[in-house]
Amino acid sequence: MKFSKLFFIALVSVSVFVSCTNEDEVKVDSGDYNEGVLVLNEGSSGQGSVSYISNDLATFTQDAYTAVNGTDLLGKYTQSIFFDGDNAYIIAGGSNKITIVNRNTFKIIAKIESGLASPRYGVVKDGKAYVTNANTYADYGAPADAVGYTDDYVAVINLATNVVESKIELKATANRIVSENGKLYITEPYNSDKIIIVNPTTKALETSINIGSDADTMEAKDGILYVMRSPYGVAGEIVKVKLSDKSLSKITFPDALKGAKNLDIEQNTIYYTAGTSVYGMNTSATEASSTAIVSYTSTSAYGKMYGFAVRNNHIFIADGGDFTANSKAYVYSLNGTLEKEFTVGVGPNGFYFND
Amino acid sequence: MTFKKLLFCLFVLFCQLISAQNDSITNLKEVVVSDRTLYSNNKSQSIQMLNDSVINTNQSSLTNLLNYNSVLYFKEYGGGMLSTVSFRGTTASQTAVIWNGINVNSQLTGSADFNTFTSPDFNTISVKAGGGSVSYGSGAIGGTVHLNNNLVFIDKFENNLRLDYGSFNTIAVNYKMALSNKKWSTQVGFSRNSSDNDYDYLDLYTWKGVQRKNQNGQYATTNLSANVGYKIKPNAVLTFYSQSSNTDRNLSLVSESDSKTKYINTFSRNLLEYNATKEHFSSNYKLAYLTEQYQYFENIDSNDFSFGKSETLIAKMDVAYQLLESIKLNGILDYNRTKGFGTSFGDNTRQIGAIAIKAVENYNKKWQNELGLRKEVSSDYDSPFLFSLGSSYVFNSFYNLKVNLSRNFRIPTFNDLYWQTGGNPNLKPESSYQAEVGNVFTYKKFTLSETLYYIKINDLIRWVPGKGDNWSPENTDRVNTYGSETILGWANSYGKNGFAVNGTYAYTVSKNVDTNKQLFFVPYHKATASFAYSYAKFSTNFQYLYNGFVYTRSDNDPNEIIEAYQVSNIGIDYDFGFFNASKLGFQVLNAFNQKYQSLEDRPLPGRNFDMYIILKF
Repeated sequence: MKFSKLFFIALVSVSVFVSCTNEDEVKVDSGDYNEGVLVLNEGSSGQGSVSYISNDLATFTQDAYTAVNGTDLLGKYTQSIFFDGDNAYIIAGGSNKITIVNRNTFKIIAKIESGLASPRYGVVKDGKAYVTNANTYADYGAPADAVGYTDDYVAVINLATNVVESKIELKATANRIVSENGKLYITEPYNSDKIIIVNPTTKALETSINIGSDADTMEAKDGILYVMRSPYGVAGEIVKVKLSDKSLSKITFPDALKGAKNLDIEQNTIYYTAGTSVYGMNTSATEASSTAIVSYTSTSAYGKMYGFAVRNNHIFIADGGDFTANSKAYVYSLNGTLEKEFTVGVGPNGFYFND
Repeated sequence: MTFKKLLFCLFVLFCQLISAQNDSITNLKEVVVSDRTLYSNNKSQSIQMLNDSVINTNQSSLTNLLNYNSVLYFKEYGGGMLSTVSFRGTTASQTAVIWNGINVNSQLTGSADFNTFTSPDFNTISVKAGGGSVSYGSGAIGGTVHLNNNLVFIDKFENNLRLDYGSFNTIAVNYKMALSNKKWSTQVGFSRNSSDNDYDYLDLYTWKGVQRKNQNGQYATTNLSANVGYKIKPNAVLTFYSQSSNTDRNLSLVSESDSKTKYINTFSRNLLEYNATKEHFSSNYKLAYLTEQYQYFENIDSNDFSFGKSETLIAKMDVAYQLLESIKLNGILDYNRTKGFGTSFGDNTRQIGAIAIKAVENYNKKWQNELGLRKEVSSDYDSPFLFSLGSSYVFNSFYNLKVNLSRNFRIPTFNDLYWQTGGNPNLKPESSYQAEVGNVFTYKKFTLSETLYYIKINDLIRWVPGKGDNWSPENTDRVNTYGSETILGWANSYGKNGFAVNGTYAYTVSKNVDTNKQLFFVPYHKATASFAYSYAKFSTNFQYLYNGFVYTRSDNDPNEIIEAYQVSNIGIDYDFGFFNASKLGFQVLNAFNQKYQSLEDRPLPGRNFDMYIILKF
């Protein structure tokens, strides 16, 4: 295990949550897993899994995929989910596959099993999915032009046929992806200091924006792309990219919030986390708030705030635990009251909303 | 295919007839065992010896031999893939594999992959339960597995050839030659095992309804060995043991869409040894040079790989002095220099010096007391003071009581210390205290050994997700493990009828002290049984393995387990009377087609077949 590819993926699998994706089609409201929250668990030695929490927090299924599809393998290191209409696309980075299920019933529809290489995140635009692929990883200390640093690509999937019909080579590393105003924006926190811009119509790379290293979570709102940068050991910042002219402005975090991460914008508030606390600031604020809304207790040495999202007046927190046992998801109200906690799967890394 | 194989066998047979040699005398009078104190100095612990007849009735991998004949528990990443052990509820790096007296666990991972060893390459394989760090160093916490080549100083020329052909295009060749006289002894061995290993996963289908099978699981293991001994004087012997091996495996896929990867392990092991005795003194000098290398191919179609390599030089001096008629003292100096380098951990050298004192007292013929003390000094970490204290008392021909107390350790590996990024240079060795009581009952040809043990392990090293998003090892866990081991054996013959019955049973509780949960991948129960019956030139055997369920998660989630399994093998062979011995055999493995796996999503083969021919000439 230590030497295996899976281990390497474990090393880089520090995913948290995905920004809301564009939904091209409208979903139907029916089925056991409708009207609720999906918690993606990346798994470790076993397969990834998906837990379901109903919107009223009253109904819970720990492993919805297995409950519906039996012994079928969802894949190793499930990284993220994106939606299109009634379909949920579950990306398993460790198994190079995307499992497509009906998001309401969780019944398997199809799998995409070729054309992917360590897939990470996906968005949908005009009947096509655009999925970042980390492809190979460079060895430690490899030169900057090593294959592992330059072979990442976006797989273009035709959602009518579920086939990877082309690849957009990025000549760089790629991880998170956002679709906004007809463009794709891509960040990668370990070996990149820029936002890559792709025109999905022409499949051409446009001039990228240098914003500095360690850019990870991001979300677009009202023509501005908010990007969280979390360099290790120094104060992070939120970089605001005005998409019309690519101009940058920054909000630098105070030292007390070192290691801030997990940007999520819900109704005009930018939420983020540092340590085991959640903070929020208005999108128009010029200074970051360092007053915690919620703090939770974690015994996880290093899996604190492994998954995070704010939606429908709830704050959702997933704790990585010890990465070998089922761990916890917590639901808080916006004023910081714990509403409920759930024992989800191993390594819960994100929340997705089926409403 | 079978017909072709038969033809091939006949062809080989014919060639051998032409070159047939004179019968040799197999009355072994003078045998030089490389690890000469294994049996004599460890009477206070249980040692189970598997001789070549047991070795020959099993599949050739060491995993298979020990899985069906000992209390050791194995998990395999698919048939023939990486195979790791748990002995007495300990981790894979807490069982040491000892090759001719030298610890050959990986310097990089700390553990041994039992599918890289081919058991017929050795004359005897012994399983010593319990701590042995005073004699065998790092990793001898749960127990040790001893692979020995024994050199014989009599006039002899013997060849031994075994050919196997089985399901999934599994082919094995094993050839051994022994040539010796009263002064010289030589052994040469060659073995190669390969398989397409594309077995079906019983009752498992893809989402499209297609039968699932083991994909990308092909492997080939090649071993070469040469052992030479020379008697310089009647009381002085120079021996040289050499083995090199290459295991080339693709790694079985879990999902059909997984990346196809490949892993190549190469080992070379060389040991020069000089042994002399003079009146009350005897001295033993060892010089060993070991290398191990792995190459990991992230994509089987590409030549790019990452690798790790270690080169180890060991020099050891062991001087024994017969202090009194009843007391023998050994003073041991040990120096070990290991250089490790590779894609993920730079270039590092580690030096370890050790001093040990051992005393054996034979109070009388019935009572033996053993004492051992050892202290290591290393450039990398602080080493605990190790000891071993034991006693064996034979009450009568029926009952033998054994008691042993020891402190043992497992040093951090190169991966633990230097892996980039994440390696933690501040790790301490894992250490353990162990107490055991053994009861051995012997009645006529029946033996029953029952051992109870308790082990307390501190500073267990575990990789946890670390700072800056990397995983990093820490001395985090404390584990208490206790249990019992039962080994029984009976063999007898009545006229032309021969019977042999063997069985083992292990009950193991291994708990994390902080959580009070059973360690994952440690079964509470494991049992093996074998029955052999022979009549004249026919012999049959039946093997049975029961492996209790194991948790796969640290929280002992009852939904996340590997279910218990029972696997049976049936074999029959016939000695058709050429040369000294020449057997034609047939085996049905997993005869009852049990669906089972030892790791999640890694199914093992259903019913499959093997046929073999063994020629001794």
